[in-house]
Amino acid sequence: MAILTIDHLTINHEDTILVNQVNFSIAEGEWLALVGESGSGKSITASSIGGILPKELKIVSGRISFNGADLSNMTEKEYRRIRGKEISYVFQDYQGAFTPFIKLGNQIDELLKTHTTLSKKERKKAALSILKDVNLFDERIYNSYPFQLSGGQLQRAAIAMAVVLKPKLLIADEPTTALDSMSASRVLGLIAKLKQQMGCAVLFITHDLRHVKKYANQVAIMKQGKVVEQGSKESIFENPQHDYTKQLFAAIPPLRETPSRLFMISENPA
Amino acid sequence: MIVVRPNNVTKNIKRPQFKLFGMIVLLGLIIILTLVAPLIAPYDPTEVQLTERLKPMSSENLLGTDHMGRDILSRILVGAQTTVGTSILVIVLALSIGLPVGLISGYIGGALDRFFMRIVDALLAFPDFIIAIVLSGLLGPGMFNLVLALVVVKWVSYARLVRSTVISENQKEYIAVAKINGLSSIKILSKHMIPHVVGNLVVYASLDLGKVILVIASLSYIGLGAQPPTPEWGAMLNEGRNFFHNAPQLMYIPGIAIMLVVLILNLLGDLLRDRLDVKNK
Repeated sequence: MAILTIDHLTINHEDTILVNQVNFSIAEGEWLALVGESGSGKSITASSIGGILPKELKIVSGRISFNGADLSNMTEKEYRRIRGKEISYVFQDYQGAFTPFIKLGNQIDELLKTHTTLSKKERKKAALSILKDVNLFDERIYNSYPFQLSGGQLQRAAIAMAVVLKPKLLIADEPTTALDSMSASRVLGLIAKLKQQMGCAVLFITHDLRHVKKYANQVAIMKQGKVVEQGSKESIFENPQHDYTKQLFAAIPPLRETPSRLFMISENPA
Repeated sequence: MIVVRPNNVTKNIKRPQFKLFGMIVLLGLIIILTLVAPLIAPYDPTEVQLTERLKPMSSENLLGTDHMGRDILSRILVGAQTTVGTSILVIVLALSIGLPVGLISGYIGGALDRFFMRIVDALLAFPDFIIAIVLSGLLGPGMFNLVLALVVVKWVSYARLVRSTVISENQKEYIAVAKINGLSSIKILSKHMIPHVVGNLVVYASLDLGKVILVIASLSYIGLGAQPPTPEWGAMLNEGRNFFHNAPQLMYIPGIAIMLVVLILNLLGDLLRDRLDVKNK
């Protein structure tokens, strides 16, 4: 059953169409990679699910349904109950993921306090155990301010906060773009492990096809606000149909037999 | 954690903190003196003794007496309550209007934001001092009306300062995270937003306090503020004007008092700005 269905979603900024009639759905426990170049509307699509679109952007048509319920028909209160608990986010900018002057532990605690009825002791236990799950063992981390941790540590702590309530859908918006490749693979490995443990679906936004190949089940390719191709990873990787998809693959730098120059992705593919 | 620094660097880092500490002590001293002024003033500041008028400094009247024979030291001390006390009141009131308006305006935006900001623009189009003169002129002279006039003028800059901080912070991801995490707007504002604003506000308020003191003294000097016989530094300057040639202490003592307090506040504001790393406005 589909946990998230996006149905003919169109998002405008005044008269400019940013996201154009986008359709896709994610089944329970599935890992969908939304791939496309910068500015193709991936992140805006993701923001619209959590209701965190910038004020200037408006959803002009389409439906987003989560777990069978239409998100646009929800009251603010119902929406608040779902956000953070059942839908959670990991962002690209790990430095901005935590409020700078509040200790990490207290920020995780705040989330638990909002959505659960656990006692103070239980909340701390839950926070420490989820930090352990992302390999941040120390209680010192719990008592640290965000600036005291490294980038990789912060991103893992952000993942810990995102999954502490066992969400049904984790939206990872380019979670590894700002990290070095070692930290990046560690972070993705963690997301994969936690997905296994909790059975949550993942909407993974990226422009790195190597990560897609390693982790995703389903792939949707976005270009200029439209989904141009989607399907299972195997079908897309083995038999890409759309020109843009082919160009994307051609643009991956190979490790061996480096060509003298890389292919360009043209603005208007023939 | 041990941080190793060359000696001269450590010295340079420590000095501003030492200065800041000194300024805070001086300001604290002024506030304490203001609070206990009626207790330590040697004479009643409004007691008229025409036989003792225009006395120079002496052991009996440390700073001399004025044209009505009132003790100048007592009037300066008790006058601080009017001048400094009222200024602090103005800042507190301006803050308590400006902070919520700025928060709401920046966070909610839209029509409400435009409404508040047009009021702000309108008020900022005139010099502070002119609006304050017009308002307290219209309402009639007196300290209450003066406070009212100054609050009307002053809340505007606090609202703008808070609004701009809120708007720039609102784009940061941790605010999005807090929203996604299901926190209510009130919680987001109070726990994740206000601490960002405080640094700016403290710096601005300490610099502004000096300005307000000057405006109150100026308006009292032209007769729109404190009314005789209430001691007030600006009013004292005005009363001393006619006797300047024979008894200059009637003017320079309240003048020095105003200058010292404003100077301390300005230095404090500058040092706080360096310490709290607030961007130059």
